[in-house]
Amino acid sequence: MEGNCRVLFLPDNRYIVVSRGDNLLRAAMDADVHINASCGGSGSCGKCRVVIEEGEVDREPNPKLTGADIAKGYAMACQTRVLSDLQVTVPLESRIGDKRIFERAEPTPAHGYLLAAADWEERLPEWVLDPPTRKVHLVLSEPTLDDNTSDAERIKRGLAVEAGLRDVVIDYPVLQRLPNMIRQSDWDITVTVLDSGDELRAVRIEQGDTTRRQSAIAIDVGTTTISAELIDLYTGEVTARASDYNAQVAFGEDVITRIIYATRGTGLAKLQSVVVGTIWNLIKNLVEQAGIEYCNITHVVVAGNTTITHLLLGLNPKYIREEPYIPSGTIFPWIKCSDIGLRIAAGVYLYAIPCVASYVGGDIVAGILASGVFNTDKMTLYIDIGTNGEMVLGNREWLLSCSCSAGPAFEGGGVKHGMRATGGAIEQVRIDKVGYEPMIITVGNRKPIGICGSGLIDLLSEMFLTGIMNEKGKINTDLPTDRVRDREGGAEYVLVWAEDSATRRDIVITEVDIDNLMRAKAAVYAGIEILLSSMDMDASMIDELLIAGAFGRYLEVDKAVTIGLLPDIGYDKIKFVGNGSLLGAHLAALSKEMLNKANEIARQMTYLELSMNPTFMDHYMSALFFPHTDLEAFPTVIEKLESVRSIQRMAAGTVAGEAEGS
Amino acid sequence: MAFNLPTETAKGKVREVELGAGDKAKKVGGENVLPFHLWEGDMPNKPLVAAEVSDEVGELIPALEKALGEVKNDPVAWARKAAEEWGADAIFLLLTSTDPKASNAAADAAAETVLKVEEAVSVPVIVYGTEDLDKDAELAKVIATKAEGKNLLIGPAKEENFKKVGAPAIGYKQTVAGMTPIDVNLAKQLNILLTNLGMEAERLVIDPTTGALGYGLEYTYSVMERLKIAGLMQDDAMTQMPMLANIGFQAWKTKEAKSSEDEYPEWGDPEKRGIMWETLTAVSLLLAGADILVLRHPESMRMVKQLIADLSG
Ligand code: FES
Repeated sequence: MEGNCRVLFLPDNRYIVVSRGDNLLRAAMDADVHINASCGGSGSCGKCRVVIEEGEVDREPNPKLTGADIAKGYAMACQTRVLSDLQVTVPLESRIGDKRIFERAEPTPAHGYLLAAADWEERLPEWVLDPPTRKVHLVLSEPTLDDNTSDAERIKRGLAVEAGLRDVVIDYPVLQRLPNMIRQSDWDITVTVLDSGDELRAVRIEQGDTTRRQSAIAIDVGTTTISAELIDLYTGEVTARASDYNAQVAFGEDVITRIIYATRGTGLAKLQSVVVGTIWNLIKNLVEQAGIEYCNITHVVVAGNTTITHLLLGLNPKYIREEPYIPSGTIFPWIKCSDIGLRIAAGVYLYAIPCVASYVGGDIVAGILASGVFNTDKMTLYIDIGTNGEMVLGNREWLLSCSCSAGPAFEGGGVKHGMRATGGAIEQVRIDKVGYEPMIITVGNRKPIGICGSGLIDLLSEMFLTGIMNEKGKINTDLPTDRVRDREGGAEYVLVWAEDSATRRDIVITEVDIDNLMRAKAAVYAGIEILLSSMDMDASMIDELLIAGAFGRYLEVDKAVTIGLLPDIGYDKIKFVGNGSLLGAHLAALSKEMLNKANEIARQMTYLELSMNPTFMDHYMSALFFPHTDLEAFPTVIEKLESVRSIQRMAAGTVAGEAEGS
Repeated sequence: MAFNLPTETAKGKVREVELGAGDKAKKVGGENVLPFHLWEGDMPNKPLVAAEVSDEVGELIPALEKALGEVKNDPVAWARKAAEEWGADAIFLLLTSTDPKASNAAADAAAETVLKVEEAVSVPVIVYGTEDLDKDAELAKVIATKAEGKNLLIGPAKEENFKKVGAPAIGYKQTVAGMTPIDVNLAKQLNILLTNLGMEAERLVIDPTTGALGYGLEYTYSVMERLKIAGLMQDDAMTQMPMLANIGFQAWKTKEAKSSEDEYPEWGDPEKRGIMWETLTAVSLLLAGADILVLRHPESMRMVKQLIADLSG
């Protein structure tokens, strides 16, 4: 299936290069070619018909496509895979309302740039494989009456001589097992030594040479999702990956509700055991996938926000929530996994990446580590958009962070038909500029159920550009389409008609939804502006904007800029980090140097409390507008608006002309 | 070495907006300096003092009752007197009768009054509804149509009804005052909405909403000042509209302006007190950057006009 194919769409006369095997509707979406697609690409609406003029495709059989259709070259774009270079005509019926008759400017690629392995090497040149635990194989000399030092001292001597590890402290359980173990193994043993930064500690003793069998686990403990990796410390390779919902979700979707739960009765213990349960299942899964033994695991590194880290470590999170918002701690010692109820094997220690403040946690520190922000000369803005929008501005000289409560809107909360990015969620949207017909694609090409974050951003951006809604987020119900309509709570736009949806109900976006989304984006943008203005900077001085978080994967940068969620600084400066938190935990698990860097980052990062900032309200108010009250700060959006308006004017002229002619 | 007064010159300039048509036309705005900083730039048009005239009055405060006399029940005579005797630069006609919560007069009838007043005076006319979103939209449509070519300043257009107020104004070439609740961003946003609707920026006036002395004046002051600074110093196109301050209405509803001598003997003569309250509010907002000052009492108008003349050197 390897190889690239060039797909040319007519009459748009626009092409895109995709991988062999890619879905044709997605190719059209990415090429910015409009095809009516009402059912999310599930093959049920039958509206996405195209004609394959040249080239080879694979058509999924579908009742809406007869043999006669196929003979004429018809295919349903959403049910078709690209197998070679293609020439595809989008027939008039699939472009209803689309009266474009002229060329448009080259589109900017919608695909974001995701940092890849090569980037890490460039970003983190000092990185070396040197994990915080080390296995040392020792063949000790048997004691004699002359050499009658204790077993423990004998091992310490061995570690010093063989590995240069001096003053190693022997963990109590190790000491207990020591005498029998070394004699049973004929003085041939492997000792695992943890370098905690403050001391060296022998945490495990095994028979024979087990140095090749050493793994670590890196975990991103998210509020909603937990992702884990098993890393072979001998090779440095990831050998298994797994992720699952954080079972704490059942006790509240956001950190605040969980804090409240934790402060009541045995709530904290409950939440701790629940998250440890999720982690244990993931570890089991990893171990099974990789076919290793639990005792290969020598340490665990976790990264999570401040509240979640507290809950995992069983620390009281109560004062995080109350002014002046004080966490129990921000830097945490190495602890035994068994201390939090995680029983992997004897002597497995866990390190939590340190936090900065109550609302900037280890997940952000890990992201800053992984993306090399602490190491670059480029002025970087790092953003993690979730329920809380956390952001960091800076470079190797300084780092300034803040957190703004964006609310759950971008995760589908507080939005009538909002949902998470799971199967059936509308994740990409285009709207025709003239007929206002949508083109949608869902996760998994299923019948649509609702709209997820990236779909919402696409939708707002398209509604704004096409004039379905105005700068204030008010829907224009005068448009000549029945997709806009007045309802009791305000106007709404119908994205999917009931007959095309999996829920048998219209999927709509309402003015109330738009309002919630506008508040969320305004909070994020206000945070960005305050970070910048407190350093006397403006957005044009940002060299690189990094977007982290699961959300980032689906986010289309140009759409996010159009609605004023991100500053208009040029798409090429905006890059995706992926799961920065997991990457940071991964690096720290593999390298002492990186772990120390994480500590340094957490210690040096300045935290700006937005609730104390007198200008927040003003920045926020000016961002409650699409794209922003300061229009001049969004030149590419103005440009886009003008181009859409001119298309609409020409189309209106065509329609008027036709009407006169007939 | 001779002393040179340090000066700060502006990048931008307030738009010059014309009110009224033909012989009656007057310009407002056009300044490229903060209010009366005449050593740094120009104020080509002096701020206008507009007299508030109402097409229906209830019980009046004695000070106003006395000043108005006969004309209080005849908006045409009232307007004429204000323009000719009191020296008002413009008439601010408030269509109180149309308030749905009170008389709810028909838009057509109100439009007749507007035309008569416009006919009777030789100064521009500003027409305001009672801030009822639907009624004001209806008024704007009828008045804009009937008064085509008169270039009235019609208001208030708000975020919720700007389209319905703006569209007829665009069609029949009237000027519009956009009203927002004391906030720089909201004022600017409404201007963007109106211009995107197709309104020429040269036909827009900002009504930032006014507070009276002692009743949030400092808040209004700072918002107006920030709008003016954004327009002048940052050359922000969407804040470069002249500003209207609706002062009489606010000043005369304060306790200090309307209480009788019996209630507060220690406060002195209520007539003087009310006039001073209105005048001082006006002076403050003049310095905050108001280009149109709407006043009720003829004595306040006289004093404010005098002050403008003095400050303009
Ligand atoms: S059938 Fe292809 S999008 Fe509906």
